Amino acid sequence: MDGINLNALSENATRLGMRIQETIAEHTRDLSLTRGGSSLFDMADDKAKNITKQLESSSDREKLDAMKRLIALISKNRPVSSYFPAVVKNVASPNLELRKLVYIYLLRCAPSEPDLALLSINTFQRDLADPSPLIRAMALRVLSGIRVPTVATIVLMAVRKSAADPSPYVRKAAALAVMKVYKLDQAHHTTLLDIMTTLLRDRSPLSLGTAVLALDTIAPSRLDLLHVHFRRLCRALPDIDAWGQVDVLRVLVRYTRTMLPKPIPASERQEEEVDKDLKLLLACAEPLFMNKNPAVVLAVARAFYYLAPPPMLSKIGAPLLRLLSVSREVERVALPYLLVVARSHPALFITSHNRLLVRVDDAEQVKRTKISVLLALCTVDNHQTLLREFVDYAQDTDDSVAGDAIHAIGRIASLVPSSTSQCLTALMGMINSKQDIIVSNAVLVLKSLVQHQLLTPSSNPTTTLATSLSSQQALLTSSIPSLKPSISTSLSAAPLPFTSSESTSIVQAPLSIIAQLARRIDDIRHPHARACVLWLVGQYGSVPGTGTTVEGVADWAPDVLRKAARSFNTEASIVKLQILTLAAKLILLVPTHRTLVLLAQHVLTLARYDEDWDVRDRARMLRALLVGAVAGFMSSNDEEGLGENWNKKEHAGRPGVVLRREQVTRVLFEGKTGTIGEEPVADSRPLGTLSLVMESESLHLHDDDDDDETMIDLPEWLEQGIDPALRDSDDDAPQVALSSAAQAISSQAISSQHMPTPTGSTPVVLTPAGGSTPKDTKDWRDLNKFYASESESESEDEGEEGVEEGSGIDEGSSEDEETSEDEGDEEDERVAEHDPSPSHERTL
Amino acid sequence: MAIDGLIILDPAGRPIIQSSYTTYPAAYPLLHIEALNNALAKAPREGSVDPVIYVGELSCSSACCHVEVGGMRFVATISGDVDPLIAFAFLDAFIEILHDYFGIVSVVTLKDNFDIVYQLLEETLDSSGHPLTTSPNALSDIVLSPSLISKLLASVSPAAPGVPSARQGGYGAFTSPIPWRKAGVRHNHNEILFDVVEEMRGIVGKNGTTLVSNVFGKIESNAKLSGTPDLTLTFTNPNVMTECAFHPCVRLQKWTRDNALSFVPPEGRFVLAEYQYRPPQSALISNVPIPLSLKANMDMGEFGGTFALTLTSRLIKVMENLELIFYLGEDATSAQCTLSSAGSSVGSVGSADGSWSFNSRTKVCFAATLRWEILNMRSSGSWILRGSWTSKVKAPRPAHAFQIRFEIPSYSFSSLKVDQLRLSSETYKMYKGVRMRSKGSIEWRW
Repeated sequence: MDGINLNALSENATRLGMRIQETIAEHTRDLSLTRGGSSLFDMADDKAKNITKQLESSSDREKLDAMKRLIALISKNRPVSSYFPAVVKNVASPNLELRKLVYIYLLRCAPSEPDLALLSINTFQRDLADPSPLIRAMALRVLSGIRVPTVATIVLMAVRKSAADPSPYVRKAAALAVMKVYKLDQAHHTTLLDIMTTLLRDRSPLSLGTAVLALDTIAPSRLDLLHVHFRRLCRALPDIDAWGQVDVLRVLVRYTRTMLPKPIPASERQEEEVDKDLKLLLACAEPLFMNKNPAVVLAVARAFYYLAPPPMLSKIGAPLLRLLSVSREVERVALPYLLVVARSHPALFITSHNRLLVRVDDAEQVKRTKISVLLALCTVDNHQTLLREFVDYAQDTDDSVAGDAIHAIGRIASLVPSSTSQCLTALMGMINSKQDIIVSNAVLVLKSLVQHQLLTPSSNPTTTLATSLSSQQALLTSSIPSLKPSISTSLSAAPLPFTSSESTSIVQAPLSIIAQLARRIDDIRHPHARACVLWLVGQYGSVPGTGTTVEGVADWAPDVLRKAARSFNTEASIVKLQILTLAAKLILLVPTHRTLVLLAQHVLTLARYDEDWDVRDRARMLRALLVGAVAGFMSSNDEEGLGENWNKKEHAGRPGVVLRREQVTRVLFEGKTGTIGEEPVADSRPLGTLSLVMESESLHLHDDDDDDETMIDLPEWLEQGIDPALRDSDDDAPQVALSSAAQAISSQAISSQHMPTPTGSTPVVLTPAGGSTPKDTKDWRDLNKFYASESESESEDEGEEGVEEGSGIDEGSSEDEETSEDEGDEEDERVAEHDPSPSHERTL
Repeated sequence: MAIDGLIILDPAGRPIIQSSYTTYPAAYPLLHIEALNNALAKAPREGSVDPVIYVGELSCSSACCHVEVGGMRFVATISGDVDPLIAFAFLDAFIEILHDYFGIVSVVTLKDNFDIVYQLLEETLDSSGHPLTTSPNALSDIVLSPSLISKLLASVSPAAPGVPSARQGGYGAFTSPIPWRKAGVRHNHNEILFDVVEEMRGIVGKNGTTLVSNVFGKIESNAKLSGTPDLTLTFTNPNVMTECAFHPCVRLQKWTRDNALSFVPPEGRFVLAEYQYRPPQSALISNVPIPLSLKANMDMGEFGGTFALTLTSRLIKVMENLELIFYLGEDATSAQCTLSSAGSSVGSVGSADGSWSFNSRTKVCFAATLRWEILNMRSSGSWILRGSWTSKVKAPRPAHAFQIRFEIPSYSFSSLKVDQLRLSSETYKMYKGVRMRSKGSIEWRW
């Protein structure tokens, strides 16, 4: 420490001296307060010629100026590699400011100009021994950025050296370099793993997070290397910086799913069974919910969602909701995650559903996701409120949002059957809207609702029957179990009495809806919606018995056909197809009605000469179908004289099957399967991924081999965890020792305390107790570590020179090691011991 | 599988500053810039652009996450199945650092100090795509700030070792045992200031009932303290705070146990805590009363409509900079309004009534908006805006809600009160200050 300080002081002194010289020389320029950077930034390209000359001048100010110009060129994407030799000369400049700019240039250019960078490789190597950790780290970053496989060995040596650096900042750079070397040349995998074992032993939370990340990058399958570090990582979690916390949590989630037994939720037979290491992880991660960084909060929520036993899941509700109020952007990303959680655990958010109400100034995507979430939270209790909300959202200025809201109303109707009439009223109100988009969406939803109810008149009573039956059954069987069979049979034998009243009231409503839709056919302009109405009219236009103007057909139906026939030529193809179907159905219902038959013939004839292939085909098919079913159809057709040839040929040459009316009715009316309400698909994509956020583009995302990554990232639970003894490490010992007064001093004390017994845990590893025997390879690896641990004492001695820098942090982590224990008496001690620590920090 | 890089675009959509994309094809950043500019051009109204834009042209899945600051766009491009929240958290941290260094983040300041921005970029984001050092205190040791003070110190101070400024520069870096605090800070005048800023966000339904209203608070601090000050901040009513989030310096365990904030603050500005206000009378989070009321008579006709809006304050305090925004839709062409105020005890005239403006559809903002501003809204009386607008379509489609924003100086919804601030581990006296400020953003549907 003293040595570094002395060095630093002397360096600072020289630096300051130079600075003063410069400032005196350039005093006037300095006094003008603007830095004049923008003039450099926007300078003309022809001035760039001077840069080389400036770089070779003896004045640092000139050189600085040149470097700034170079960086300005870089940001304008101009080629700058020609200056490389001139720049590299300055890499050893005593002026720190200049050197930093040189390094920025090198960091940019070295990867793209590896050959040039090779020439100066010695300089970088020399800089690895620079007294400033900043320069050491930068040199390592440049070295590892040179992408030439031939120098990989040199870089590897540099990384190995830096991995034992006293400064955690340099060690962090080393961990990052490990990833880059691995990307460059995977042949060095074993050496890198070796370095990783050093890095993972790191005590400073500053570099620990990056070390875990590096391990995850170069050897995602080697989770076994984390056994001995698992508990320490958990305890260090609060002290790692936010970015590290995200990475470590991600890896620990994976570790837990692979190595720990799945928690068994509490049931009647047994108590809840959660592994104590899992408990430790969750206990250490939970305070991070209070982190300001949204990515950390999500990472913790993710850990709880995928690991915690069900009772603990309730903890993720409030933090996820808090993310929504952080910023618009965070809200946008957090909502799809929240949707996944809400779909699987709606109870978490039901009480706070008003936090998810749509605001007019939300972005479109946010509005749509909010509607989905609200829908996922819909229950019998809150459906009234939600229905009112959705009715409001239907007026939204975004078409897609209005559409979603109207479809949501339809979903409420099917989710909460008792609300059906309300939903229908709301949708019927929308039919009268002046907005095209609202009308057409409402029609589409109405169609599926009506169809759902009408098409299943047989199933509707049965469902109501089934529920009433089951409730009755439950009631009865609970009291007199022996009666069960006889009662159920008697009930099913006579279902009518208590279902008919219900079903008629439900069936009645949809028909009047179709009637209203039919009357408003002129206002419904959206082709899809028009087609829907036409189909509904045709499908449900039949009325049994008499009393209507045209017997057998509802009063409103024929007029729809009349209007449609008149506008046939201007309709979209999808509408034309439905007009044809409607015509066919109506004349099938009343084959004797002359006007209707004429109308139908008119339409069919128009369709015959239609542009659209499908329309012509449909017309032909329907005509052929109806030949035998509708009396007078043929003859009247002949009268018109249109298509006479075809008809004659067709008629004469028709030896084949002519269907009877009943048969045609069957063909046209029956077997229309009901629309299946879109059930939200359980999302398999894990939380915290881009593909979940970009739901609409998810298909494309899944084209890549992301699926594999997903599996790697979030594996299934193992049946049985591995032996927890593998996670025992010498780090566990100081827990007991921590309560001693010595703990506050520094990590030196800790390491010296347990140094004498490094082998304490290793025998357990060698002879695993219990059923789950690790594979041979694991034994072998751990044995390796066992031998390594003996030499560890030496390396740790070396490391301790630098530990002082991080001592305050270590102290913090030791504080938190205790926080996880939740034991009151120890905490009290901690408070007492806490006071000496700041004074210690001050003496540093 | 990480943040590929960061691009800063000027208001015209051209890149000003760009991190190195050396390991990517040359077109890579350009594709992202283009995707973003396209999306911005297509946006129907301000703020409706999706903050995450998927870029599909590439072989790997990639997206750009963007935030608007001072007219510029800060873009973080990500590739692989990364959590976009990391990108936004990083952008936030980076923008905060820029604020710290330059005070104002604008095209001018960034161009003036582009070399410093590049240094910061290099230090905060490694080329592997992982954030490095983002704590402003740690960075200030690595990258010198351009502030006037450091300049003056550099030109004036003699070469006497031990002067605080001498500690600046690369060698002072990483010597602090606390990652978020610089080592060896000395001030002649020690002070710490707290700003409690509360924001109400609410929605009022068509019938005037409050559907939801929540208050979110933030404690912003500005610390200028010497040495390693260990502070304990206590409140008389800490139970009004719920769902808290803290700066990393806060000892979480102390908070859960004693409801006291115990921390060693970083130097300079930072957000100490964020919370949600929990009204004390009930266990559940219920709605906080909204301090104003709006009566809206809307009449929608063909090719336009008329409206009469009456705003009344329910608060004894004066509300400032009240602003009511009404999106008239893409098709609105003009609006005409008259302002008046009724029952006001003070005979207010002229500008006190407020003002209104109409912005027709522009390239930036597709929806025409009507803006009504009242600079000072006193407790009594009501403010009325009557008017009409025209539209070029038969059935106009305005937003069915008004956005109301306001500020209330020296007021807090939660009446959170600081009990005391204790300093241990240092002996000097410090100046302590607490200020309250509130603002609101209410959506009023009609």
